[in-house]
Amino acid sequence: MSLSSRMIIVLTSVGIISGGFLASVGHLTKNRIALNKQMQIEEAIISVVPGTSSSQKLYEEKDFIIYAGKDNNGNLLGYAIYTSGTGFQDKIELMYGINPSLTIINCLTILEQKETPGLGAKITDKESFLKYWENRDSSGSLSLHKPASSSIEELSQAEINTITGATISSEKVLQIVNLSLEQLKSLKKDGKFGSEGKDAS
Amino acid sequence: MPAKSIVQEYIKGLWKENPVFRQLLGLCPTLAVTNAVINGIAMGLATSFVLIFSSIVVASIKKLIPSQVRIACYIVIIATFVTMADRFLQAFFPPISKSLGPYLPLIVVNCIILGRQEAFSSKNSVGRSLIDALGMSTGFIIALLILSSIREILGAGTFLGHQVMGAWFKPWIIMILPPGAFMTLGILLALALFIESKTKKKTVKRTV
Repeated sequence: MSLSSRMIIVLTSVGIISGGFLASVGHLTKNRIALNKQMQIEEAIISVVPGTSSSQKLYEEKDFIIYAGKDNNGNLLGYAIYTSGTGFQDKIELMYGINPSLTIINCLTILEQKETPGLGAKITDKESFLKYWENRDSSGSLSLHKPASSSIEELSQAEINTITGATISSEKVLQIVNLSLEQLKSLKKDGKFGSEGKDAS
Repeated sequence: MPAKSIVQEYIKGLWKENPVFRQLLGLCPTLAVTNAVINGIAMGLATSFVLIFSSIVVASIKKLIPSQVRIACYIVIIATFVTMADRFLQAFFPPISKSLGPYLPLIVVNCIILGRQEAFSSKNSVGRSLIDALGMSTGFIIALLILSSIREILGAGTFLGHQVMGAWFKPWIIMILPPGAFMTLGILLALALFIESKTKKKTVKRTV
């Protein structure tokens, strides 16, 4: 057998055998990986819309998904908004819960971030950042309280406290949320979603 | 090549030919993922899995592979095992898979693995290749463990997530950032060279 045909045969068979192994491993783990992703989303929805027993995807576009959180009787408790945007270093993915009339943000959770450890990464920390997102007035757009305030009472209803040393990361999260709030309100105005809210009232 | 005993074949990976401290291979994952001990261990185990199985496969089919296409064959074999490890972690240990991020698929280009195939498995029996891979893996895990322990303890005051430093301790954030990795590795390499030079002198004296 000539050298070139031997090379072709060897490379092809190595490729085919490896491909076969990968296909079977991919097949075996596919469901489990999809399940993990699903579970992560569901956990996030329950954490931002407390009391949710079932959720439903209402609207989806790139980097923006609206889920409806419903209780056992099918009443709408609120919407969980998944959205993402650029942070200080990389993409920040987050989810927040909002009431059906879109006026109050329940709370916010960060799903994915690669901010500076110890500084920007504090956006995932409840004490330094996330607690300031609880029960915020979202009828207008939110703003940042700079410099950071030590007591939550100093903040107005539509203000979020800055993280000391991580102003940019705090600002980025705020921008991502404000942008999605606008999007959310205009979608509701256009009637793209929200009709299912009727049976809740 | 003088035949080494099986034990020597294993031991050499721990210190004399330690992939990180002596051969300076695989430094990218070494620097990137050692900000926490758990990440270091996970990276070490994943790399070991790939190294061990690729060594076995390469050693067992080395005679079939024409030397002109050997590197391409090794890469395909290595990539297969890396992808398997990646999928496995994604399916069963999603938090670890998330924290290792792109460095898990990047094991493909880890020089330790390709280096061992080219330098060892392609010339030695399956048994010896396995022992060699085990030794190199252990050496790599030890290196990652040392590096990540130092960085996690100083950078976060914790070890495997448990608080080990008292309340007085202010974490050195720089240690879990990239510069901390370079500094720690630099100091460890200097230390390794220092120990090596000391032991060398001793053996010279003894032979004299």
